[in-house]
Amino acid sequence: MSTLLSVRDLRVRYPVRKGFVDVVHGVSLDINRGETTAIVGESGSGKTTLAMALCGLAPVFGGEVDFDGVQLKRDRRNRLNPDRKRVALMFQDPVGSLNPRMTIRKALAEPFRIHRVDARNPDREALRLLAMVGLGNDFADRYPHQLSGGQARRVGVARALALQPDILIADEPTAGLDVSIQGEVLNLLSRLQREMGVGILMITHNLNVVRHVADQMAIMYLGRFIEQGHSRQIFSQPRHPYTAALLSANPSPDPNAQPSQIELIGDVPSLLQRPSGCEFHTRCPRAQAQCRSSFPELTTGKENQQFNCFFPMGE
Amino acid sequence: MSSPVLDIRGLSISYQTDTGSLQALRDVNLVVEEGRIIGIVGESGCGKSTLISAIIRLLAPNAQIGQGAVNFKGGDLLGLSPEQMRSLRGDEISMVFQDPMTSLNPVLTIGRQMSDVQHRSTASRAEKRARSVMMLEQVGIPDPESQLQRYPHHLSGGMRQRVAIAMALMAEPSLLIADEPTTALDATLEVQIIHRLKELQREFGCSILFISHHLGVIAELCDEVVVMYAGEVVEAGSLRDVFMNPKHPYTQKLLECDPARIAQPTRELPVIEGSLPNLVNLPNGCIFRERCSNAVSRCGAERPLLSGDGHQAACHLPDTSP
Repeated sequence: MSTLLSVRDLRVRYPVRKGFVDVVHGVSLDINRGETTAIVGESGSGKTTLAMALCGLAPVFGGEVDFDGVQLKRDRRNRLNPDRKRVALMFQDPVGSLNPRMTIRKALAEPFRIHRVDARNPDREALRLLAMVGLGNDFADRYPHQLSGGQARRVGVARALALQPDILIADEPTAGLDVSIQGEVLNLLSRLQREMGVGILMITHNLNVVRHVADQMAIMYLGRFIEQGHSRQIFSQPRHPYTAALLSANPSPDPNAQPSQIELIGDVPSLLQRPSGCEFHTRCPRAQAQCRSSFPELTTGKENQQFNCFFPMGE
Repeated sequence: MSSPVLDIRGLSISYQTDTGSLQALRDVNLVVEEGRIIGIVGESGCGKSTLISAIIRLLAPNAQIGQGAVNFKGGDLLGLSPEQMRSLRGDEISMVFQDPMTSLNPVLTIGRQMSDVQHRSTASRAEKRARSVMMLEQVGIPDPESQLQRYPHHLSGGMRQRVAIAMALMAEPSLLIADEPTTALDATLEVQIIHRLKELQREFGCSILFISHHLGVIAELCDEVVVMYAGEVVEAGSLRDVFMNPKHPYTQKLLECDPARIAQPTRELPVIEGSLPNLVNLPNGCIFRERCSNAVSRCGAERPLLSGDGHQAACHLPDTSP
C-alpha cells in the first residue's frame, strides 16, 4: 500500500477572546491508496476541522502534510494548498452543499469548468457520472430540492469523484440516512473505491459503519487522536479506556444482549480549559494520580496499534 | 388496565402539493399506555414527523386531516381550539427535538429559559429558580447553580440535550415526545441520555413516544415498537416480538440491513431494493408489495389490514418469519 497523504503533528488553532483554542491538537495520520481510514469522535472533537484543514478550508497552525511525496505549502492565510482536483471533499449536508438554483446536470459539470479540465462534452460527462452512482438520466434536469436525502448523497459522491481524485474526504457521508439507504451509499463508495483506487478519509460517529468499511481508524478526543490503528485490531482489542467505553456503549439492536456498557461519568471538558495530564482523566474509570499530572506518551502495541494511556486496557 | 394516555385511531393526513394530494399518513393506529415507552421506527418519508406534528398540532399549513382521532387522556386533540392546544403543549405534552442547539434560544441564559417555561406556574422567581436547579440536578448536570448563568453555546452537545430534557420534564407532562434526541451525540453520551430518560420515566411515570432510526437505541430503551412504512403502520408489538420475531417483510428487511446486526465485517451491506412508492398516486393493494420478495397476487389487489393479537402486522402472507 502506498501512502498518499501523510499528516504529521497537524494543529489548528483559533483565536478567542481570552487567548486561543486548539481545535486540532497535534494529529498524525497516513492515508493509503485504495484504503478507507475512519476518524471517529463525538461532535466537537475536531473531526470536521481536521478535514477542512486538509482541504485548505481551515488555517493550519502547525505541522506538515505530504501529499504524494510532496510537502504541501501554506498560502498567505496559512491554508494548505492541495491540488483540489486530486483531493475531493464531500460535505456533511448533502442538499445544502448543492446550489439550489442549479440543475444536477450543471452541478455535475461544474468541477470540469472550475478546474478547466478538458471535458469535450460536459453534458455527457454529467450523464456518465449519474450512471456511475446509479441515478437515471432523468435526474439531470432536477433541482436539489427534488431529491431525497439518499439521492442527494449520490450526487455528492458523483460530484466529488468527477475528476477522478486520489483522495476523497467524506464528512459524515451517511448521517441522517436510514439503514437501507446508508447501505446503498456505503456499497457505492466501496465499489467506486475498488474501481478507482481512491483513498477515503471518512469522518463519522457511527461505529457500526466503521466496523464494516474502515481499514484503519483513529479515535479523536478534544482534538487529539487518543488511539489509532487497524480497525479490526481496535474493535477486537481496544487499548485506550475511551475507545473501550465508546465500543461498549454502541447500543445493540438485540433485545437479549447483555448490557456490558462501561458508563462514563461526567461530560466532555471544554477546549478552553483542557484538563491537566491525560485529558481523559476527568471521565476515565481507570484514572490514577499519575494521569492527572503527566501526559501519557504515545505507546505502540502490536500491529502498530498506537495509543496514549498509562494504564491501557488488557494489562 | 387504565385507559391509554394517547390513542390514535384511523388517522389520515394529506398534504396539498402542486402535483396533487400527497397521502402522508393513512389509517394510522397507535396506542400509548400509561408509563410505557413506545418507539417508532421507519425510514425518512415514512410519516414519523407528520405523526408527531399531528399529535402536537404543529402541522404545516398545507396539511389536511382527512379522518381519524387523536385521543389524549380521553379527549380528542383534533377538536381543540388553538388556545386550548397551547395550554396542553409544554404542560401535558412536551417535546425534545433532535438538535438541542436550535431548540434552545442562543441569546438567553439557561436560567432565564428554564424560568420562562414555568410561565404557567404562580411560584415566585426564587421558587422557579430552585425548581430549575432541581431539574438540572435530576438530569445529571454538574454544578447546576452556576449553569443557570450560562448560555447554550457554553454547554457541550450532551449537556444541551439534557437541559432540553430537563425543560421538557419541568411541568411533569403525561406524554414526552422525543424526536431523534441522540442523533447528534457520540455513543457514550447516547447511552448516558438513554439511561437518564429511562430513570426519569420511572420517576415521573410519564409515557414516552420515542422516534429514532437507530435500532440499537430503540432496543435499549423501548417497551413497544411501531414500525411505519410510507405512511402506514405495518407492524406493532412488544420490543421482543418485533425485533426477535418480525412478521412483516419490511421489518424483516429493515432489521437485516442494520450493520450492527451483521457480525462479520463486509463491504457489501444488504439494502432494501427499490424505492418508496409515490404517495400522490398510491399503488393498489399492499404498500410494500413492489419491494417485497414474497408478494403474491392478492397483495396487488387488496390492502392488508393490521391484524393479530398483541403483536400485529399488516401482511397477507401467513407467517413468513424465518
